[in-house]
Amino acid sequence: MTVVVNTRDDFTLANFRRVSYNGEPVRLGDHARRVLAASDHRAAPESPSGDGARRDGQAADDAIAGRHLDERVVRGTVFACLAGWVTGETPVSLATAERATGLLDGPLPPVLPGGQAGVGEAACAAALAADTALQARHRLEHAEAVCALSIEAFGAPLGAYDQALDELWGDRHETAALEALRRHLDGAGSGDRRFHQPPVSYRIIPRVLGQAERAVAGVEKAAAVSLRSVTGDVLYLGGTAGGPAGRVLRTGGFYNGLAYPALNALSAGWADLALVAERQVTALNTAETSGLPVNLGVPGAARSGTYAYGWAASGYVEEARAAATPALLPAAVSDPHADALSPTLSAYRGQRRAAECLDGVLAILMIVSSQALFVTGRSPAEPLRPWLSFTRSVFPPIDGTGERDLSADGGRLQQALGAAALTGRLVDARAARA
Amino acid sequence: MTVVVNSRDDFTLENYRRVSWGGEPVAIGAQARRVMAKQRADFMRLLESDRTQFIYGVTSSFGPRARVTIPPEEQRAHAREFSFRGNWARGFGGGHLDERVVRGIVFARLANFVAGNSKARPVVAERVAALLGGPVPPVPLDGQVGAGEVLPLAHALAGLRNDDLEEGEANPIANGSPVSAALAADTALLAGDRLGHAGQVLALSVEAWQAPLDPYDEAVDELGGDDDEASARAALRGYLSGASPDGRRADRVPLCYLILASVLGQAHRAVAGVAEAARVSLRSVTDNPVYLPPDARHPLGRVASNGGFHNAMAYPALNALAAAWANLTVLAVQQVTELRALRPEVRAVAGPEPALGGLADEARAAALPTLLPAAVNDPQDDVSMPVFSAYRREAEAARCLDRAVGALAVAAGQALSAAGHRPAPPLAGLFESVATGRGRGQA
Repeated sequence: MTVVVNTRDDFTLANFRRVSYNGEPVRLGDHARRVLAASDHRAAPESPSGDGARRDGQAADDAIAGRHLDERVVRGTVFACLAGWVTGETPVSLATAERATGLLDGPLPPVLPGGQAGVGEAACAAALAADTALQARHRLEHAEAVCALSIEAFGAPLGAYDQALDELWGDRHETAALEALRRHLDGAGSGDRRFHQPPVSYRIIPRVLGQAERAVAGVEKAAAVSLRSVTGDVLYLGGTAGGPAGRVLRTGGFYNGLAYPALNALSAGWADLALVAERQVTALNTAETSGLPVNLGVPGAARSGTYAYGWAASGYVEEARAAATPALLPAAVSDPHADALSPTLSAYRGQRRAAECLDGVLAILMIVSSQALFVTGRSPAEPLRPWLSFTRSVFPPIDGTGERDLSADGGRLQQALGAAALTGRLVDARAARA
Repeated sequence: MTVVVNSRDDFTLENYRRVSWGGEPVAIGAQARRVMAKQRADFMRLLESDRTQFIYGVTSSFGPRARVTIPPEEQRAHAREFSFRGNWARGFGGGHLDERVVRGIVFARLANFVAGNSKARPVVAERVAALLGGPVPPVPLDGQVGAGEVLPLAHALAGLRNDDLEEGEANPIANGSPVSAALAADTALLAGDRLGHAGQVLALSVEAWQAPLDPYDEAVDELGGDDDEASARAALRGYLSGASPDGRRADRVPLCYLILASVLGQAHRAVAGVAEAARVSLRSVTDNPVYLPPDARHPLGRVASNGGFHNAMAYPALNALAAAWANLTVLAVQQVTELRALRPEVRAVAGPEPALGGLADEARAAALPTLLPAAVNDPQDDVSMPVFSAYRREAEAARCLDRAVGALAVAAGQALSAAGHRPAPPLAGLFESVATGRGRGQA
């Protein structure tokens, strides 16, 4: 299929996904072509200093050349550039816009992110926000399922997820988290649950997931707004806004101040969620807390059971916390006329690392939850059984038979979670290759 | 005046301001007393139906000893053993919360009670409200990290009489998250004014540098499409109303002027985030365990252990605000630098460069986010609340911003005077106060 763009309203997250993730081509619609053709005579007006036009040109060149980012983000950046162009309010000609859409017909070179922060990258910021938003929603949904599996594994009482809390707490994001947990726990039995309240990490998980949900919604909003923004430094206004002769405005639109704070908040949300998940790993591994067998071991297997995974989880948490250091406006000034560089790329990289670390902790929580259910011969609520089956297909319970590379198996589970954030589907990479 | 609270809807930011900042007392309204009395009776029926059922803090011990059962005949005495008076270990040091914030904590505490979910008698709520009739105890800033907010509450509610508490009445005093609600509300009330003042001074700087007005043009609002940035632009346009378009510099305009509306937009967004956190948190029922009234499936009602004591909304909002203040501080410092480069007269009056640069660094350090603490006190209380750290860091970032904005006001005033320019009419008052030295005192 081809994504046809005519106005800024066509620059949605759904269309971004089609172009960026699915590799669909893009064509300028008739309306956009007319608008661009009509504005050709005023293409590339110089601002008094010429700085702005050069910045815009540099941004387009960077996007087109794909210098800094992997392919889907480069495709997304080219796509996001078009939002400003199709309105005819940026100094871009129809020919340039067609050249850009033509680039999306084929592969663009995958390039790892560099450390550069610079001017003229609003379209890139929009793409980074959109790329993150698409993955973050999936990642959050998977985290909710894993936490529900952990609740079942621990046998935590269900009062902490009661529907009555929706109204009593009164926050829509926490309500969304509570609803998700209840969906996963639908039909959960009450027979084997703890009679007393579980550790704090089990009771506060709806609120911590709510924090993450709030951050994901923030990135989604940043992406939705940024994708359809007209972000050129130099803009031409016609019609009502521009008056009979039109107006040239130099706006500072190359700077996206929306995306990086949202990415910062998401990194912090992932780091906090990773910490609470790690605490649940510890709770499950600790017989005095959980009432489960020591280290979730089975007779005949190593006595250490899943104990050491708690340490590994701590490592991921520390890394996630470091990655949550926020990207801010740089205090150092190298050029008085470029004295406030955009930190979006830095925020994007931090978020990716925090997300990767969260995936590591969630993989461990899946392993330990699966083991807890295995050693006690229990099954989770019906909606969670596919999750348990998948976990065990990648990481079978430690039953004392055979010799396994538990590190490699854990890594595959983490990779599966990372891939599922992209696709929305949990697939074992090894099985997929086979 | 007295603030009368009858339902959770009375726990608004405006009523918070009246109690916390205005020093007004609080009375429990008749409707709230009726609801509490009924819910208390319902809860006692539930308890009497089976005094061996698990009800945290009522038929069980507290915290790490939650699985320890309290025999029925000891349950009332158990409630009375809980006391914030006397030998209750608590944090110390680091200075103290302002009294207004402590009043706010006590006010926010009452939201749990008025709808009856606390399962306490009306007299307990009335005693809490009565604390607001006089001076409140100091609450130290250090040592306040623990599961929930029991540590700061141990200070704020230390004067509460509790030697006649009955079953289920200790938890609603110690549990829940009213501290987060109050810290968010206090910050929200301060942040709006701070942002307004910063915007005004930054607009004066636009006039002083004679920066172009295009970036603040109304047409950009729709093209950008973000409500917060549009609000920031609207505020700047208000301050710059009547500014002359003639003679403005168009060549090599520093980015700190071009992106000003966007950075202010980030601050608008963060201020709105804290206000929303305060609005939601003030009226939340965060008690643990919470009493849920009778319904068709549960004719006696039920009690749910939950994580309401962990407010996961306030500290991230405070983090975001601290980051926004830090970015504005950087921008203000850069504008001072630009004004100095433009007018040698400014160099002599706005303070030494390193001091200003230090402010930017201090603000950025304060913007390091407060995350869930890595340390664990015990396996049951395995996650702690970091809201005090977030509150203090936001306050530190705000202090840096205030100083940077003060320096910028002085620099902008001097630059305007040196050039013989007058700013746009809405900025005339600020310019006069800076030019006559009153602004320096504010700085």
